[in-house]
Amino acid sequence: MKLILLKDTDGKKEEAVFQEKILAEMKKENVQGKWQVVRVADMGIYNKGVAVKILPEGFTYTGLSLDDIPALVRTSIKEGRELGEKSYGLKDKQVKIVLRNCGRIDPENIESYLESGGYQGLKKVLLELKPEQAIEELKESGLRGRGGGGFPVWMKWQFARKPESAEKFIICNGDEGDPGAYMDRSVLEGDPHSVLEGMLTAGYLVGANKGYFYIRAEYPLAITRVQNAVEQARAYGLLGENILGSGFSFEVDIRLGAGAFVCGEETALIASVEGKRGYPSPRPPYPSVKGLWGKPTVINNVETLANIPVVFSRGGKWFSSIGSPTAKGTKVFALTGKIKNSGLVEVPMGITLREIIYDIGGGMLNSYDIKAVQTGGPSGGVISREYLDTPVDYENLQKLGSIMGSGGMIVIDESDCMVDLAKFYMNFCVDESCGKCAPCRIGTTQMLEYLDSVSKGKAREDDLPRLKKVAMAVKKASLCGLGQTSPNPVLSTLRYFEEEYLEHIREGKCRAGKCKDLLQYSILQDQCRKCGLCYRNCPVNAITGNNKQGYIIEREKCIKCGNCFDVCKFEAISRG
Amino acid sequence: MITANINGIPVHVRKGTSILEAARKININIPALCKHPDLDATAACGICVVKNNGGGKLLRSCCTPLEAGMNIVTHDDELQEIRKTVLELILSNHPEDCLQCARNNNCELQKMAADFGIRSNPLHRINKGIAPDISTKSINLVPDKCILCGRCINVCQNIQNVWALSFLERGIKTRISAAGDINLADSPCIKCGQCSAHCPTGAIAEYDETSRTWKALYDTEKYCVVQIAPAVRVAIGEAFGYPEGENLTGKLYAALRKLGFKAVFDTSFGADLTVMEEATEFAQRFVNKTGPLPLITSCCPSWVDFMEKYYSDMIEHFSTAKSPQSMVGVLSKTYYAQENKIDPAKMFMVSVMPCTAKKYEITRSEDMFASGYQDIDVSLTTRELARMIKQAGINFEGLPAEEPDHILGDYTGAGVIFGATGGVMEAALRTAHFFVTGENAGIMDFESVRGLKGVKETTVDIAGNKIKVAIAHGIGNVEYVLNKIQQARDEKKELPYHFVEVMACPGGCVGGGGQPYGVTDRLRVSRAKGLYLDDIKQDYHYAHENPYIKKVYDDFLGKPLSEKSHKLLHTVYTPRPLYRR
Amino acid sequence: MAKLTRSKLEEYGKKAPAKAGRALVRVGMSTCGIAAGAEEVYEALKGAVAQRNLDVDVRKCGCNGKCYAEPLVEVVSGGLPAVLYGKVDKRLALDIIDKHVINGELLNDHIYGIDEGKGE
Repeated sequence: MKLILLKDTDGKKEEAVFQEKILAEMKKENVQGKWQVVRVADMGIYNKGVAVKILPEGFTYTGLSLDDIPALVRTSIKEGRELGEKSYGLKDKQVKIVLRNCGRIDPENIESYLESGGYQGLKKVLLELKPEQAIEELKESGLRGRGGGGFPVWMKWQFARKPESAEKFIICNGDEGDPGAYMDRSVLEGDPHSVLEGMLTAGYLVGANKGYFYIRAEYPLAITRVQNAVEQARAYGLLGENILGSGFSFEVDIRLGAGAFVCGEETALIASVEGKRGYPSPRPPYPSVKGLWGKPTVINNVETLANIPVVFSRGGKWFSSIGSPTAKGTKVFALTGKIKNSGLVEVPMGITLREIIYDIGGGMLNSYDIKAVQTGGPSGGVISREYLDTPVDYENLQKLGSIMGSGGMIVIDESDCMVDLAKFYMNFCVDESCGKCAPCRIGTTQMLEYLDSVSKGKAREDDLPRLKKVAMAVKKASLCGLGQTSPNPVLSTLRYFEEEYLEHIREGKCRAGKCKDLLQYSILQDQCRKCGLCYRNCPVNAITGNNKQGYIIEREKCIKCGNCFDVCKFEAISRG
Repeated sequence: MITANINGIPVHVRKGTSILEAARKININIPALCKHPDLDATAACGICVVKNNGGGKLLRSCCTPLEAGMNIVTHDDELQEIRKTVLELILSNHPEDCLQCARNNNCELQKMAADFGIRSNPLHRINKGIAPDISTKSINLVPDKCILCGRCINVCQNIQNVWALSFLERGIKTRISAAGDINLADSPCIKCGQCSAHCPTGAIAEYDETSRTWKALYDTEKYCVVQIAPAVRVAIGEAFGYPEGENLTGKLYAALRKLGFKAVFDTSFGADLTVMEEATEFAQRFVNKTGPLPLITSCCPSWVDFMEKYYSDMIEHFSTAKSPQSMVGVLSKTYYAQENKIDPAKMFMVSVMPCTAKKYEITRSEDMFASGYQDIDVSLTTRELARMIKQAGINFEGLPAEEPDHILGDYTGAGVIFGATGGVMEAALRTAHFFVTGENAGIMDFESVRGLKGVKETTVDIAGNKIKVAIAHGIGNVEYVLNKIQQARDEKKELPYHFVEVMACPGGCVGGGGQPYGVTDRLRVSRAKGLYLDDIKQDYHYAHENPYIKKVYDDFLGKPLSEKSHKLLHTVYTPRPLYRR
Repeated sequence: MAKLTRSKLEEYGKKAPAKAGRALVRVGMSTCGIAAGAEEVYEALKGAVAQRNLDVDVRKCGCNGKCYAEPLVEVVSGGLPAVLYGKVDKRLALDIIDKHVINGELLNDHIYGIDEGKGE
């Protein structure tokens, strides 16, 4: 069976015409055998005109015109040869390690995981390698924590391995809380056994016999699937006493997080598992030395643990062949915002932001240009579009004033206001500050006050240095990572977009039209065709008039929702 | 020992010493708001940050141990700027109503603002607007003034094991409150006031009764009398610039008379009386097996409250003797009124206590009305009395020492040491020894019951009887003792103790929740020393030798545990729910 | 259930990816899929298979990342590569069974991915 797939990657919907043309040419050429010509909805190629892919050969062509079709049909379909000229060489840029099983296996069935190579890594560690060798393998892999800090995993495990202790613990951090990030949920829901296998491996190497899944209660399906996985693993003897006859015993429990963002911070998470208020505590001592119940504890996040089985089943050397010089393997990003294909992408470390956004994400959602990319959630920052060609890894993002974080990636276009964006994240930080330490607790509220006054046009120019001063104090003097990074949205937007702040302050203008207090809507009478569409769409009846005399907007009533602006077909609504 | 550099100065400290502590050793004071010298660091304020090796992440010196080879910088322009900004942040979320504050002139936040020369605050005002909780009528919670250092909660939960106070909500809305957002009065709070003793600001302070006291003092119809507790005399000097632990009994008597009190009594007399009753009770239980052992002391109202709430199965072990305060209270409106032909209805009894819980004790049950009236009308803390003396324009320093009014004012060394942990036990054992043997034991024999060790266990020999005693102070230390008793009781094993003394506050009453602010272990020791010196100075060191005690029994009470004693000087205990809501 | 032994686990390791003798239909049933209506689609597929008496394995699976196109249904059948259908509703689910599964006929305008590696 030959498949001829086609797609107009510019979105101009030319597929049907091309499909007919191809069918006609094939008939003309009298192509024999079984084949189908199919219009697809997404070919993984974007903004490259009409594209055709021929399977099983895999010939891919882009930028096709109808004139190209006869040659294409003759050469590639009939004769099975590649046509050089319009050939598209790019391969899929995603590499799936963490998400290797997501969408493939049945997450509720351990057999499905076993059939796709599950628990082979654990077998190797338990039965074939010495613990020292295994740690060495992990070291060679170059795997670093995916939860934010990027701490080398082997080192963390080694620290917890060293101290003599009758009890040690492994905690899987599934308290994913960044707005827009959901890769951990997806892995827990789609491939819970790989995380469990990671925990078992950690348990064995560290000398722990007890593990905890800490999953936020807002993830009910993840909880159910993990519970199910734990029960099945127990039934298969992969949990409990003397696992696979190795003498190693391990049990796990599930703890639910009640939704506090700070409980993703490891010391606060430990407090929460212990049943205390989720407050971070000073480090040192680090959890690997003194963690849960005062015992050595390894805390890794879901994505990190899901990497572990592959590190061992395919080897550290293989793993380290993927990625950038300082960061090995892949990173899963939750790609959202003004992007065509929002979703989860898994890419090798070191890929550029541009590749992620345009080659995988399919480019911008609307007609607006890209303005910036926000990474790392509320602890991260924005990166302006000049830096789209930066290879993505821990250090590079940090240099640009953001962080990798847990992998949220939000694409921002010209219709987004940077002050508004900073305000959004600061609101989040204010809500989620645990309240323990003064710089974060009060500083975030102060920063929000400044941002609010900028967005309302009430700030003065000398408020900006004050805002920066507060931001620096919060960054430097806060106790935990969340506090220390909470000013990032402010500092990074100021770093790249200070002129937008100044525009709000000096001119009372929000160029993106997002800061409502600075907006005035009015009807441009010479443009208006008196169609009444705005009149009918105003939710608060602030538009009065009729189709004879025309319409006006009553400013006292207007709530600046922008409906009229959006619905007007004649650009007769002014906003400024 | 490790060696490191702080501001270029080499410093050698024990491993585990915090950077803050280490710096102090070489006379560098790193500013810090939330760290209390005696408590574990809570790392809440963010002011004590320092640099290591020229930068990177700042370290919180309060909770980061100095490590060998560190190169710490405690002060530079950036650190100063950060500290000042953090302080401004804290002030922006504080009412800044220093003039109307219970801690005016005595506030750690105010002092730091002064030290940093804060003259204006460019930040936005963020008001909390949380209603105060004055439900206990002992301790006021004013969350608006709270800087969330966490000391009170640390003390309430970890030192006192009461778990009444907690943080509620989060972020900028975080506040201190009784756990479960109920009134403190409905919570397990035992009114010990250790929260207020450790609070750096005016967020927790005593319930002020000075106005009521002034009113009574200026009321010509009222006959105002007063008693002062042992621990007050060695602490009030701190409010007037005296050295720590200075005994100012005589000046206090004089000042109280200047305030308008017609008779000045001493709670130490009540302590002597308590010893008589309690030692008799002990001797009877020990010799005649009239009740279960161990006998547990009951002078401390917070401890009584705690026991009634948390360990009501221990009630039968409690001494039924009232506290010294209550004994002086009831005797003043009965015996003293009778002797001096004063209408007890017109008598207004004020007690000056180192304690916030005493405000609660004076109405804790109907036994507190044994005279037919409320035995004690108002209980003031040491802090309130100091304010009253200042308000009255009394030149405290210039006052000559005076004597107390007799019968209820003269005390022995045994009575006055009630104010320190171990003091009640020591005083009781001195008299119990006499009751059993007919001879006085040497004073120094009881040294092992003194000092700040959390639980002191010892065995005292009285005429060949080995009496096992335990002394606990700070409620957190009580659990150990009670568990041992319960276990022995459950397993029907030999008693671990015969006699147990408990005081709720660390250090005993000298460290009470109503004493001048800023209590530390050093201060507790100095104040206790003042009391032990007073013991030495006294003519009598045994409660049973107090001639006025003898007189009270001869004239009025009969003998210890007589029917009258029972009616006036003893009380009963009832189990109480932890939460009243 | 019998406990897994070392040798049994080794067997799993050696096994080549399962050759599906029968058609396999996977439905993305993570939170994102369910929120977009995957449960309804799953039921429709199950119902259609039962009604037509087909030997088809309809399975739940996790999210493959293309959240913008949920609900997602992947079909592996009849010698074709794995075909991923997106934005599937009940009606399209029936088409998938009738056209693709039964007749090996791919549906226009709904394919969001074709994975040659995952087919047969």
